[in-house]
Amino acid sequence: MKKVTLALMAITIVIILGACGGTDSKGFETSKNITVYTRDTSSGTRAGFMSGIDYSEAAEDDSLIVNGFVIKDNTGILTSIATDEYGIGYISLASLDSTVKGLQFESVEPTLENVINDTYDLKRPFNYVIREDGDFGSEEEEQISKAFIAFLGTIDGADIISDKGAVSLDSSQLWDDIKADYSICLEDNSTITIKFGGSDSIEKIAKALTEAFAPKCGDFVPEHDHTGSSDGFKRTQGSEKDGDNAKHIGFASRPFKDTEVGANDTQGQLAWDAIVAIVHLDNDLANVTAIDLKNIYSGAYIIWEDAIN
Amino acid sequence: MELVNKFSTKFAQIKKRNKKEHIDIVVRMFFLISTVISASFILIIIVFISMKGIIPFITDNNGIGSVNVIRFLTGSIWLSGTAFQSNLYSVGFIIINTLYIALLSLLISLPLGVLTALFIAKVAPKKLAEFLRTVVELLASIPSIVYGLFGSGVILVFVYNFADVLGIQSKGGNSVMATVLVLSLMTLPTITAISEVSIRSVGKDIEHGSLALGASKTQTNFKVILASAKSGIFASAILGIGRALGEATAVSLVAGNAKSGPTLAFFETTSTLTSTMLEGLKETTGIDYDIRFSVGIVLMVVIMLTNVILNYIKKKVGNVDVK
Repeated sequence: MKKVTLALMAITIVIILGACGGTDSKGFETSKNITVYTRDTSSGTRAGFMSGIDYSEAAEDDSLIVNGFVIKDNTGILTSIATDEYGIGYISLASLDSTVKGLQFESVEPTLENVINDTYDLKRPFNYVIREDGDFGSEEEEQISKAFIAFLGTIDGADIISDKGAVSLDSSQLWDDIKADYSICLEDNSTITIKFGGSDSIEKIAKALTEAFAPKCGDFVPEHDHTGSSDGFKRTQGSEKDGDNAKHIGFASRPFKDTEVGANDTQGQLAWDAIVAIVHLDNDLANVTAIDLKNIYSGAYIIWEDAIN
Repeated sequence: MELVNKFSTKFAQIKKRNKKEHIDIVVRMFFLISTVISASFILIIIVFISMKGIIPFITDNNGIGSVNVIRFLTGSIWLSGTAFQSNLYSVGFIIINTLYIALLSLLISLPLGVLTALFIAKVAPKKLAEFLRTVVELLASIPSIVYGLFGSGVILVFVYNFADVLGIQSKGGNSVMATVLVLSLMTLPTITAISEVSIRSVGKDIEHGSLALGASKTQTNFKVILASAKSGIFASAILGIGRALGEATAVSLVAGNAKSGPTLAFFETTSTLTSTMLEGLKETTGIDYDIRFSVGIVLMVVIMLTNVILNYIKKKVGNVDVK
């Protein structure tokens, strides 16, 4: 009995010690399989990533992604890639840290500066569109909507945007500096409803923004109904602008199309959603192209040799 | 006079009895009410989940079309086609994954838990036993998210490196093995605590009888005490497997959430009914949301069937029959 116990303990210890010190010696082997990590189909980051690598079909369809992929959340991908030498994943730029290697995309480093100066391309714009001048239900609604747009460009607005993981644009003014220009916000607006719609990827940011802004602007009532980017323009200036679903302010998580050009000064950008492809620190890969990533996620590249040229 | 006295004592007795009976009735009603309340919650939950869960099968889900029940119960891909536009959901492989994982984790935690219980109840000195009992109780009360964090921080790395030593490339450790290890850890305290109580409650006379017949302590512990306590040990296994089947948070952090299967290989990603329900739950809408309630129905049925089967086996083997 004692001998058996001793033998069992010895085996366990050998296995545990062996497992703990296993990976140090060998280094990166390009003949190994690529392990693909992804977010689940309801994720906005996934939608942004897939559209960034020109593989939008896979945003909500798991069967288009290479067999044997691993589904994790943002943090889960980060910590898994820190362990998994042969993994590749993507996270929002805001969560990138030194435990993993953030890949250059089309030879551009993934940094905040490169996002804001528009050289880093694995990103999508968060745009807004408001109704045409004079086409709001009332003068008050128009004033509040315009005050909200002005709020987007303030440091207060930028803080909220960065807090939700997006990259805010440059801003220099506080809301307190410019609020004198928007006298409507001094009045009691608690009976006025402002309707927000469009992209559902922007919903969280938009809700956080209105939640912070409503108390600053006479407690107007924000109503959010986010149904997709194409409804952003359609329901403010497009075919549904006078329908039941009409909105005061719409959002689109992509550039506006040629068919979505509105009246002067009614459209603009509030933020960038930047995504970064990440690999293990020991990985030889440093730069990827959109085509590389598409090939990896669709399963055209199976081993690392395929991706590292 | 005597008659009056007799009557009055009789009357007093009746009155006394009536008062006692009244209290009895009130207390009984009180018990009944609490039972009805707690039982009705279970009923309400079952009815609520069933009502939500049946929607994908009986409506056309806003034009997507209803989900085919047979395909749902037997398929090997969670969702074919684009989410929110497809009705081709299946949980067949996930049911197998779930049972497989629960069984494997029981294979680890049951022997380990029972031996620990035996040690605490019969072998360890009194003070040490007291201490260990507290430790086990503490372990049982650790919330599952903590086990999940431990799993994703430590067990995933361990499994990844372990697979590497064996020459297998695992997916960052997200695997059947990691899930089984986490679940074993989680079910271990439950199994230990209940087994320990049942081992302690084995009659001293049986133990002394065995020792008097010349059996050693070890022989007595394994052949007499464990055999006598097997009903309680089985009960602990039932509770343990219930926890393993129902655990969501910790599992979804280490399973890798495979979308097709079933997965039998130790180092491949897997998914359970609960991790599938949890994934994206807070973000999703429409059929993709409702279908999670359908998975919930399947989970409840699986747990119920497992319990019924295990209870049947328990009845078969559970009598104190010392050989």
